[in-house]
This record gives sequence, structure tokens and C-alpha cells, in this order.
Amino acid sequence: MRRLLITGALALVGLVLLYGVGKMPPMNTRLAPDKTHVVPRYLEKGEEEAGAKNIITGIILNYRGYDTSGEVTVIFSALCAVIAILDREKKGRSRSGVDASAIQTSVIVKTVVRFSLPVVVLFAVYVILHGEPSPGGGFQGGAVIGASVILFTLVFGLPVSTRRMPPGSRIPLESVNVLGFLAMGFLGVALGVEFLTYLLPGIHGALADTVRSLMLTVIEIGIGVGGGVIFVSIVFTMIREDQYELQQDTA
Amino acid sequence: MNWTLDLLLMIFLVATAAAAIVLRDLLAAAVVFSAYSLMMAMLWTQLRAPDLAITEAAVGAGITTVLFIITIYKTVRKEGK
Amino acid sequence: MNFSRILHNVNYLFSVLLFLMGLYAVTVKPNLIKKLIGLNIMETSVFLFIVSIGMVEGGQAPIVTEGVKTSRMVNPIPQALILTGIVVAVSTTAVALALCIKLHEAYGSLNADEIIERFGS
Repeated sequence: MRRLLITGALALVGLVLLYGVGKMPPMNTRLAPDKTHVVPRYLEKGEEEAGAKNIITGIILNYRGYDTSGEVTVIFSALCAVIAILDREKKGRSRSGVDASAIQTSVIVKTVVRFSLPVVVLFAVYVILHGEPSPGGGFQGGAVIGASVILFTLVFGLPVSTRRMPPGSRIPLESVNVLGFLAMGFLGVALGVEFLTYLLPGIHGALADTVRSLMLTVIEIGIGVGGGVIFVSIVFTMIREDQYELQQDTA
Repeated sequence: MNWTLDLLLMIFLVATAAAAIVLRDLLAAAVVFSAYSLMMAMLWTQLRAPDLAITEAAVGAGITTVLFIITIYKTVRKEGK
Repeated sequence: MNFSRILHNVNYLFSVLLFLMGLYAVTVKPNLIKKLIGLNIMETSVFLFIVSIGMVEGGQAPIVTEGVKTSRMVNPIPQALILTGIVVAVSTTAVALALCIKLHEAYGSLNADEIIERFGS
């Protein structure tokens, strides 16, 4: 009976959604309503107004920069929430259950990781710095950096990783993405014009293009490094097992 | 748009999503979820969204799957009834 | 209901199907990790729906290169919005998994019904 009710409810939701799908304009039409109002202006003037050949980078950092400020705040507050739930590690070496596995990691895996990790980090830095002329950007490179450090941790164990990236070096870097973005945003306010603008007063012509390019690069590097260190910190906090040993001693 | 490739990718998407929901072993469900993320990344490439493809591949296969496996390691492995 | 239009918009159809599967997993399955997997499937189905709206037949990626006219590019706005959406999805998944670890430590199981039974103790 319960299954019948649930199936009926889901079918009802499905029918409503399909009715909505039936009312939408057909796919792949060139003159659908979503492409005729703002999009031609973004596509034609995007390169000269936003300063990026990759129009998506121009949109998220220039036309819709306010949304990106919300995004960096969300990922930073996710880190704060995870650390508030599971405490940050104390000083000294952390242990994790990954180290105590009965099967030792083989020499082949360790050697392959040692060879491929610098290449992965180089690729991540390339993706971060080439946010404008090609697909890529800040957050993509940050996720790849985070994934490479996580790979290193899973193969070599948590004590080795915590020695290479101790909390003292991670804590200042975690807020770089929010601070970098807000610093570039408030640069306009400090000089008398509006928030989140790349057209600073008194600078015109080719120098304005250089200044805008520099500000975009600073924001991208900030988002990339900050995002990568935030992911690394989240995984280190979740994989740690000191607090469980303490609980088993007192229980 | 290449209809057959898109249709095949979407059928695989539905199949991996169904497998991730139905499987009892949670570790197998997390690995199948990583395959779902890979299918989604290929679909983004077919929809001409290269930024989304890079982000989905790095975040879905690199971060979300590792977080799920860490949680499954620390808690239960089988979905008990 | 316009059946031929629904069958033509095949991307939207699969997006609705994935949404319903994710909704089934969130409401019916009692295990918390299954609920999170269902939530992620729902989120990615909505991303698929929104990005498929901006698709143009024979279109190119919205990157200014030689020989690509701007009138042949796909719509870049949904892609920019969904980029932020993917970040928000991974953030909420990370916080929810940290909560799952703490719940298992406090109540001993990850079954939603058992946790509700043991609330008092």
C-alpha cells in the first residue's frame, strides 16, 4: 500500500514536469527566447568589454561577478562547517585509518604516483593561468590541485602528508579565495568608483587593458589556490582518527 | 548534434543512476556514482560546455567520490534493512 | 500534453527521469548515504536540464577563436550559472557527509528510522 502511494506521488510529479516540458520551445532552435535578448551582446562584445576570449570566464568574473563572490563564500563556509562539526587537528602528527591497512601499498603504485604528481600539479597551474584564452579557470585548477594532494595522501598515508602540508601553512591559504576576490572588488571602492569594477579612474587605453588583465589573473589565482587548499583541508579533517581513539579510551 | 552518441550517453546515465540507487553494498554504490559523474562529464562535452566538463570531471571523480569513500570507511559498509 | 514536442526534447525527458529517480532515492531509501546519492543525482539532472536549454544545433563552444562566428555559438549564460551550481553541490555534499560521520558516532547506525528511534537515549 505504501509503495503504491509513493509510486502514485512520483508519477504525479512526473506528469506535472512532463507537461511543463511539453510547453517549452523545441530544442536546438536558433531563435529561442533565451538566446535573443542578452546573449548576442555578451557574445559579440564579450571579448572587448570583459577582456577574456573565453566568454564564460568573462561572464563569471565581469558581467556576473557578484554571483562568483557568493560562490567563493559558499565554499569557504562549507570548510568552516566541516571544521565546526569535526574538530581541527591539534599540533603534532595525525593518524588515520588509512595508514593501518594490512595490505601495504605496492612499489608500483608509489613509483607511478611519484612520477605523475608533478605533471598533474603543472597541468593544474596551466589550467588556472589560462582561464582567459582557453577553457579553464580558477576553480577547475583548484579542484585538480586538491585531487592531486588527496591522491598523495591516500597512497603515502596521512602522517607524511601532514608533515608536508601542516595546518600552520594551510590556515592562511584557506581564506585566500575570499580575500583576493574582495580585495579586487573593493579596489574600485577605495579609488572612488563602484564595487567590482575593472575600470579604475584615471587609467585609459592600453594601460586599462593591462590593469584589467592583472586583476583577473589575481582573482583566478586566488580562487584556484584557495579552492585547492580548502578541499585538502576538508579531506584531512574527515580522514583523521585522533578523536576516535580518545573516545575509545574514555568510553 | 550527434543524436546517437547523445542518446547512448543518456541511456548509460540512467543505467548508472539506477545501479547507484539499487546496490546494497555502499562502496559499490560510491564507485558507480563516480562512473555516473564520468558519463555526465562526457555529456557536457557533447553539449559544447568545456568548462563544465573539466569541473565535473575534477570535482565529481576527484572530490565527491573520495569524500563518499572516506565516509563509508568510517561508518557502515552495507545498507542494512 | 504535446507528445511530439516531448519526444523531440529528449534531453529534457531524460532530465525529468533522472530527477524522479533521485527523488525516489531521497524519500524511500532509509540509509543516509543513499539519500545523499539521490540528492546528487537530482542536482545533476537539473544542471543537465538548464544547460540543454542553451544548446544550438551545430553550435560551437563559446570561446572566441579564428573562424568561428559569434552567431554560431551556444548560449554561454547557463554554463556560467551551472559552474557556480556545481561548486555549491560539492560544498553541501561535504557538509552532509561530515554530519553523517558525527551521527554514526553518536547513534551507532546510519539508518534514518533507527536514529529516530534512538533519539531519546
